[in-house]
Amino acid sequence: MAEKIVVTAVGLISALGHGVAANMQAMRDNRSGLRHPLHLRTVHAAEFVMGEVVHSNEEMASILNLPADHSYSRTALLALLAMQELLVGADMELLRSEPLALINAGTVGGMCTVEDLYPDFIAPGTGDYIKYIDALDCSESTENIAGHFGLKPFMATISTACSSSANAALLGARMIKQGVVKRAICGGCDALSRFTLNGFNSLKNIDRRPCMPFDQDRLGLNLGEGAAYLMLEAESSAIARGANILAEFSGYCNSNDAYHPTAPSPHGDGAYNTMQQAMNMAGLKPSDIGYINAHGTATINNDIAEGAAIKRLFGDAMPYFSSTKPFTGHTLAAAGAIEAIFSITAMQQGIALPNLNFHAPMEELLLVPTTQLVENVSIKHVLSNSFGFGGNNVSLAFSAS
Amino acid sequence: MNRVMYIKAATCISPQHSYDAEMFLAPPVSSDTGRLYVLDQDYRKYISPVAIRRMSRLLKMSITAGMQCLADANVQPDAIITGTGRGSVSDMEHFLHDMIEFKEEALNPTYFIQSTYNSVNGWLALQTKCTSYNQTYVHRGLSLELALLDAQLTLSEVDGTQNVLVGGFDEMTDYYHFVKNKVGYWKQEQINSLELLKHNDTTGTIGGEGSSFFVLSNDNDNDNATTAITAIQTLHKPTVEELQTAVLSLLTKNGLTANDIDVLLSGMNGNSGFKAFNDAMANMLPGSAIAAFKHLCGDFDTATGFGLWLANYMIAKQTLPELAIIKQGTSKAIKHILLFNQTIAGDASLMLLEQSL
Repeated sequence: MAEKIVVTAVGLISALGHGVAANMQAMRDNRSGLRHPLHLRTVHAAEFVMGEVVHSNEEMASILNLPADHSYSRTALLALLAMQELLVGADMELLRSEPLALINAGTVGGMCTVEDLYPDFIAPGTGDYIKYIDALDCSESTENIAGHFGLKPFMATISTACSSSANAALLGARMIKQGVVKRAICGGCDALSRFTLNGFNSLKNIDRRPCMPFDQDRLGLNLGEGAAYLMLEAESSAIARGANILAEFSGYCNSNDAYHPTAPSPHGDGAYNTMQQAMNMAGLKPSDIGYINAHGTATINNDIAEGAAIKRLFGDAMPYFSSTKPFTGHTLAAAGAIEAIFSITAMQQGIALPNLNFHAPMEELLLVPTTQLVENVSIKHVLSNSFGFGGNNVSLAFSAS
Repeated sequence: MNRVMYIKAATCISPQHSYDAEMFLAPPVSSDTGRLYVLDQDYRKYISPVAIRRMSRLLKMSITAGMQCLADANVQPDAIITGTGRGSVSDMEHFLHDMIEFKEEALNPTYFIQSTYNSVNGWLALQTKCTSYNQTYVHRGLSLELALLDAQLTLSEVDGTQNVLVGGFDEMTDYYHFVKNKVGYWKQEQINSLELLKHNDTTGTIGGEGSSFFVLSNDNDNDNATTAITAIQTLHKPTVEELQTAVLSLLTKNGLTANDIDVLLSGMNGNSGFKAFNDAMANMLPGSAIAAFKHLCGDFDTATGFGLWLANYMIAKQTLPELAIIKQGTSKAIKHILLFNQTIAGDASLMLLEQSL
């Protein structure tokens, strides 16, 4: 029997704010972070709402006490702020002296910076922009995190579209179970970019209204940005050092739809199998699950497939479930980690988070998510789903410690 | 964790004649332009005519190498794990360029979809109907090594025999070459690629590309694998001393001494800045033959894939190709190869390979 993996620290930033407390309070207050962007310079700014982090790059650099000539992209700045929260009260000596993994995830790295500098990049000559020459690589933020906080971890960077940081989390758990490292800091970061916005817009996957997950009238997603990280370690190690255990990371599954380059199988076979196997690993049956944080992007394809899978798997034992993307937007590589933290914190606080903007169920399924905040409920186990392009599916299960 | 992985098949599409195993690097291909491009193969073998028209070279060469590798091993994959520094970067450039040129209007989504780093994995899963574990690493010059490390984890998690498809791929583009020239990646003097390692008194290297895939198994049940990967290690910007310590520790952990390493297969790239590292490696392994490969494939984030393919071939055929030899060693047999790579950015990796028959 492999050792239990637990979560001992978390940190995040999203359009709802910096830190877990600010994010949870916003959701308790039904306050969405979606608005027209102030920082992303796009011709579509008046057309689309997004989950943009309120801070400018300059404000984030100031919070982090960075020198004026720093070379961090917005993506890296978001990652550093999320990590800053995770590391509050951390024993940095321990993190430096014992084997540590830093597993980060991204979908477009520092594209937010590169797309602004591209004309300079492709023109002859050089200039101050040259410090951003490697910013496009997703691993740039990973190395920035390690460098900024003076860590020398084993590093890896994952990119599996919208399931990227959920994959980072399960890789960390696997490495600890196999004894490769003692601790793993896992998560992901993505900043809004014109590249991604126009990519999803060219696919006609963006709703001009605030997104409506699982609603009959849904038309697509809203993009968001953010970063989130979880610290994982073996339960015995956490207990031995008296660490605060937030939850047990009880199960996970990575699988692939093998159905279509961008669309999920319409009956949700991939989503079904992924959730099922994550629960199997955790030794859970459907009635054990108290809350599901759904992927729920509000695209036509995702919600019908995920909804069908949830309905088939849970049937009459339907737990509370919601998509929190109407609060944060779809934060892509950060989504898995952000929503894992939402799920864990909801379980700790005994609440089920609301699915905003829901009016009428999809007529194929008649499935109704949790639309109002539910308080004072005992939730022992939660599932957090992340499904991406390329058929990359991940489900994570967390249990009360 | 130090689980042995057997190489059941290796497929490499590279600037050399590597895809057709019978040709084995003959005749040698060279370039005077400072970069090497892959020799295109018949990509229609594994990709439908409809899909192939829209695909970038990277997708075509990666899907083909992956599918051919599975065909050679004659297995269905139990997992698909890849590493790429830049993914289908030509699609990314195309979409980015159009987005700026057409002021964010009327864009073709195909370039966007294909630019996602996991698009090759998605295609391979689709073509093989492999619904199990699927992962893509994007950590620059260590991407393939991370995929291999994950394969080691994956094969350690199961009791029965499993076959994991692992691949690494990157493509050279004009944009990439131009941009990286601004930060000194490439040699400024014109040289023939085959002469790269004779020009190790100047900085920079030559660019390359390629796609390499391997079917790795935890079990050599029918003895068809001649090579096993016994250890993999990544090193983030090591000093010479850190590299030496890592090599010693790797040998010790695997019950070997320097004398056991028959061949040091080096990712030396002609950059004078790395001379101290290459000298240190040669000094640590005085009896080993030294072979190199970046004058054949160029330097790119997943160039170790070409090195691993070459090492597998060298052990299988018990031969050191003339084209790769830098220095003859004392041993005739090739039982152990240490594959050492240093990336342009200064990260490094070590892989220990062993004859498994």
